Amino acid sequence: MAANRFSSRSPGGSVGGDRTLGWWAGSSLRPVIYGLLIVGALVQVYPIFFLLMNTLKTDTQILNTPFRLPTSFSMAPFIDVWTGDRTGMFFGRYFFNSVIVLAATLVLMLAISCLCGYAMARGQFPGSGTLHQALLLSLAVPAHALAIPLYFFIGSLGLRNSLFGLTLVYAALGAPFTIILMRAYFMHMPVELEEAARIDGCGRLGVFLRIVLPISRGPIAGMAIININWIWSELFFSLILMNKADVRTLPLAIALYKPAPMTVETVLGLQYAAMALATIPVLILFFLFQRQIASGMTMGAFK
Amino acid sequence: MATLNSRQAVGTAAGNRFMRKLRNALPWYLFIAPATLLLLTLMAYPLFDTLRLSLFKWGGLGPQTFVGVKNFSKLFGDEIFWRALGNSFIFAIVVPFFTVSIGLFLGVAISRRLKGWQVYRIAFFIPVMMSGVVVATLWANMFEFNHGLFNTVLRSIGLDGLAQNWLGDRNVALISVMLVPIWQSVGFPMIVLLAAIEGIPQEMHDAATMDGVNEWQRIWGLIVPLIKPVLASITMLSIIGAMKVFDIVLVMTKGGPAFSTQVLGYYLFETAFRSGYFGYGSAIAVVMFAVVFAIAYAYVRGVRIESVEY
Repeated sequence: MAANRFSSRSPGGSVGGDRTLGWWAGSSLRPVIYGLLIVGALVQVYPIFFLLMNTLKTDTQILNTPFRLPTSFSMAPFIDVWTGDRTGMFFGRYFFNSVIVLAATLVLMLAISCLCGYAMARGQFPGSGTLHQALLLSLAVPAHALAIPLYFFIGSLGLRNSLFGLTLVYAALGAPFTIILMRAYFMHMPVELEEAARIDGCGRLGVFLRIVLPISRGPIAGMAIININWIWSELFFSLILMNKADVRTLPLAIALYKPAPMTVETVLGLQYAAMALATIPVLILFFLFQRQIASGMTMGAFK
Repeated sequence: MATLNSRQAVGTAAGNRFMRKLRNALPWYLFIAPATLLLLTLMAYPLFDTLRLSLFKWGGLGPQTFVGVKNFSKLFGDEIFWRALGNSFIFAIVVPFFTVSIGLFLGVAISRRLKGWQVYRIAFFIPVMMSGVVVATLWANMFEFNHGLFNTVLRSIGLDGLAQNWLGDRNVALISVMLVPIWQSVGFPMIVLLAAIEGIPQEMHDAATMDGVNEWQRIWGLIVPLIKPVLASITMLSIIGAMKVFDIVLVMTKGGPAFSTQVLGYYLFETAFRSGYFGYGSAIAVVMFAVVFAIAYAYVRGVRIESVEY
């Protein structure tokens, strides 16, 4: 699997310092390239800095002196959006809704995907090839094309406005990709350990649960990490399926939160605080798992 | 697995073979059952039902009236639909063009270990992790006409003439909206292409150095040809991603002004879930499905043809 080549390589670890020596040395392009990189990096980072900074400013400060740093640090805007007393939008609740949907989706999706991927890698059964083809084809289906029947189907199950209903939809949307990658991983896993356990009288499921899953913790965690991002950000199905205020997920609540500026002292500041609430966990995650995220994203694109 | 070495008991052998095969296969069917069940009910069935519904007229409640291909013929005379389709194609061309080419530049620069490469890698990748809604809200605030960051800056340096109604002017809005996914996702091609470039064996670089190539030749003669498959795959992923744009349009413009930023995904949402034309909405969904599927199919065919040529 191509992915292994990249996940085992720490970015940059294997490159000798000599590579940099010839890089446009003495060329007039060199300052241009550095200039582009530095300006580009600022353009990428400044809006995020702007977002975080604005959580601590009043509306007047945000609008009239956008470049000035906040004068004081206070948790008040975060507490305000979290409790929702002043905004009428209970972001604490939406945050937990998002966390619940994320966790449940990951558990469900990974469980069914590992089972299915393992069977496709190890088992010989009629229909296995068809299943693989169908999964590959399903990757080219835009989720929007499923929305209308899904809306009515989930409704007929009584799962509209239910976090569980949204979880089922997300698990289905993420499963094909996860199954395909887990299958590829299991196919390259040495089979000896499992055969030994089989001879010792362990059933298929026993082998899977006691041998295969424990040694696959790494790839499973990797699949979780690359799926976290889209589940945390998903808007379309949340917008369609969650019509009641108390079941909104974080992206939906932010999309629906439209403060009119200059009505109260800090309305915009609160909007920024809500946005920071959705962003900060992702940033923490990024700095903790930078390498895994990069290799996971890479793995997806190499398939 | 179930191989019968000798052929004793010819009469029952076939039956036995079948039974044994079934017994061997049965546990595997139990393994795939949960995923298959979920995907059949929540992906395969809705997909076919979308195709079916596109031939009906339906307000969501009450009876569905069969109208044949009338939804589609109406669609082809629908100016907003053509606008949405055209804009989706503009998105799918412009956004990947910039993200992939900038991403390639960044990937090459970082792989050559330019000073500060760790910083560039993180700086360009962080927005990829953020949610589309947050990014769109942030940019909508910055684009705001009276107090937004851009106009404030332009006015404060005396360039009042350049201050735009970024999201309210129908000649500018599409460009403003497209800037956002470009800003957000350049890091994605960057990180993928970087991994591909780092996968090029050092010996090939050494050989090129011995030949005395300059950096320009190294990029176009060595790096780009070797990462071509990855370049193709990331371009296709970006095109499909841009074709499905929704969050940004919903938050920033709702398809306006005067439909200048209307795209397929948002038009589908409005038609079905805001106006309640579920049959007509399904027809839009079918077109969207066909377009995305065709792009993916063309890519798969293209890659196969290419690999035969080698």
